[in-house]
Amino acid sequence: MALLENSFEENVLTTKVDWLINWARLSSIWPMTFGLACCAIEMMAVGAAHHDIDRFGAGAFRATPRQADLMIVAGTVNFKMAERIKRLYDQMPSPKYVMAMGACATGGGPYYKYGYTVVKGVDRVVPVDVYIAGCPPRPEALLEGLMKLQEKIRNSSVIRKPARTA
Amino acid sequence: MSDRPTAAQLLEARVQDAKVVGSGEKEFSFDVRTQDMEINFGPQHPATHGVMRVLMRTDGELVTGAQPHLGYLHRCAEKIGENVEWLQYLPYTDRYDYLAAMNNNLGYSMAVEAVMGIEIPRRAEMLRVICVELNRIGSHLIAFGTYGLDIGAFTPFFYAFREREWMMALFEKICGARLTYSYIRIGGVFNDAPPGWLEEVALFCDTFEQKWPEYYALLMENQIFVKRTANVGIIPEAMAYDFGLTGPMLRGSGVDFDLRRDMPYSIYGEIAKDKAFDVPVARGEKGTLGDCWDRTWVRMVEMMESVKIVRWCLAHIEEGPVLGELPKTLRVPPGEAYVGIENPRGELGHYVVSGGDKVGVRVRVRGPSFVNLAVLEELLPGSLVGDAIAIIGSTDIVVGETDR
Amino acid sequence: MDFQGIHDRLLANGAPGLLGVDEPRQPDPEDKKDKGRFGDAFVLVDPAHLAGFLQVCRDDEALNFEILADLTATDPAVDDENLWVNVALLSVKHRHRLAIKSLLPKAAPSLPSTTPVYRASQWHERECAEMFGITFEGHPDPRNILLPDDWLGHPLRKDYEFPKEYHGISCE
Repeated sequence: MALLENSFEENVLTTKVDWLINWARLSSIWPMTFGLACCAIEMMAVGAAHHDIDRFGAGAFRATPRQADLMIVAGTVNFKMAERIKRLYDQMPSPKYVMAMGACATGGGPYYKYGYTVVKGVDRVVPVDVYIAGCPPRPEALLEGLMKLQEKIRNSSVIRKPARTA
Repeated sequence: MSDRPTAAQLLEARVQDAKVVGSGEKEFSFDVRTQDMEINFGPQHPATHGVMRVLMRTDGELVTGAQPHLGYLHRCAEKIGENVEWLQYLPYTDRYDYLAAMNNNLGYSMAVEAVMGIEIPRRAEMLRVICVELNRIGSHLIAFGTYGLDIGAFTPFFYAFREREWMMALFEKICGARLTYSYIRIGGVFNDAPPGWLEEVALFCDTFEQKWPEYYALLMENQIFVKRTANVGIIPEAMAYDFGLTGPMLRGSGVDFDLRRDMPYSIYGEIAKDKAFDVPVARGEKGTLGDCWDRTWVRMVEMMESVKIVRWCLAHIEEGPVLGELPKTLRVPPGEAYVGIENPRGELGHYVVSGGDKVGVRVRVRGPSFVNLAVLEELLPGSLVGDAIAIIGSTDIVVGETDR
Repeated sequence: MDFQGIHDRLLANGAPGLLGVDEPRQPDPEDKKDKGRFGDAFVLVDPAHLAGFLQVCRDDEALNFEILADLTATDPAVDDENLWVNVALLSVKHRHRLAIKSLLPKAAPSLPSTTPVYRASQWHERECAEMFGITFEGHPDPRNILLPDDWLGHPLRKDYEFPKEYHGISCE
């Protein structure tokens, strides 16, 4: 894929191929089991039967980063863990996405002011695609975040050259 | 070419070395050298119940050394306690043992109330106990579901979460949150039960009582689960005392002690006097006393005992206020108190020091998971890697409480 | 046993290092500034003899404190010259508790470790050491437990300054 990426001008054929690639990618985003704290319980509730994440194609939680597409950082990140998060992110193969779930991963959360070991947002460590607010966010909020990520993937250009603004 | 022997020549030389044993077969005298391997179990691992790392030294499948490393979720709860006001600290208490958040709120509120010396309204006490026991059922359900997941049984996980969804819906009706409630406050509870809530709790109890035998048979009587957890991770009584274990870890080793019945707090004294609930103590049914199966058994049976306590409270609850009269800015008089309550994991202790100000001097949290985890250093060496997973799962730790 | 009974038993046994007690009291009506002291009663013990004192608590028949519930420390104020070491004990057989406090000077915060008496105190002492800078002599494994290995400072002291950055990640 790397040779073909961003190499063709936009035309009917490449648009359709892109649509197909994007549809395949967004329908099978496999997350990595990366629950850190309380948000992990809501992530497990999303994986369970009531708020089923499998209907979005994202139900196969992989334990190893080398087989995962999405890292849902669910919980507080502190300095000891930040180095491991960077390492795990580097081990994920492209295309990879990161979702910051909950207030702690978004911006430090309730530990913002007096938490001396808390990293104020996981975006200081890895680049984040979707932020989900809440402490902990409802399972429906996590599913909405997943849908936003799917929208982002749907609108991305893989084969086509990225659109240029005039 | 070099004069190094080829593989065929080496094999031939070894075969020449072989001695002939009585049956006529040749016995090979290879010197099989094994090497100790140091592997990292965690911090990111599906079976560590959170971010915990165990540095294991293994000789093949046998674990020869284990060192738990903590601190991957250290969130400075005790420093925060010294910087925010008394009531502002309550949301932080939810987040250490996030599976049983009501218990944490209760422990902290009781410690501050012990220093203040105030009376709690009776209806508030009843609502507190109902919420705490429902949360205990929820926490033990997760222990049952995720322990099955660690061992390899996927089905209990879904049943556990189905029951938990109803429990969380009940809590959402009374306080608005599914996981981190901040409901039990200093002086009582924050909100009265909405109309119809108590009837729904009774319905939940009835439904759960019917489902419980199925869950018990699904996991506890399953031959694979029994084979993997019986006679594994045996904690004798003396070791349990020495390590300071409390809760199901202690009752799983045969010690008949439960803070709710033996050193009662809140209205548990009345409930115990009415003999409304029993305390399950393990008897070593499927293996040796003090193994992983016993601890899981204690947790399963405790769920039914919690149902009995909730039913007692529903029968005895009366109308009344739910929150005592407190000033807007709470100033706790100078003093200190240590209050320990029975968390689903053990004794949750809060040690609170006040200087008479609106901000505390010290809030110390004695998390049972922190104390229970130390026993791994003694239990893991000598077990197989698969057994190590079973032992870690049976301690039922929550890393938010281990690291605070 | 209640607190008075436990204290009498400790005196009768000649527990080493017992300095006194501190019981809660109501505010003095004569003194307007006095707000009293509420909460628990505790026993004051000399830190150098804390391990021996805990041994008596554990081994005596009538006291029988099998479980060390908590071992922690407190920094009462920036200008206070002492740190407190707080120990909470629990007896399963007799269903009673005891609260113990030792005063350690901040200039020399060191005392013998209590790990020979209770195995549970090993991890508690590691946490106190990294959070307050207390040295437990004879501790078998004095590493940091909750903080990273190269963390500077002792966070739970009242004069702790929050760090500005760590390993390239900003703390602001």
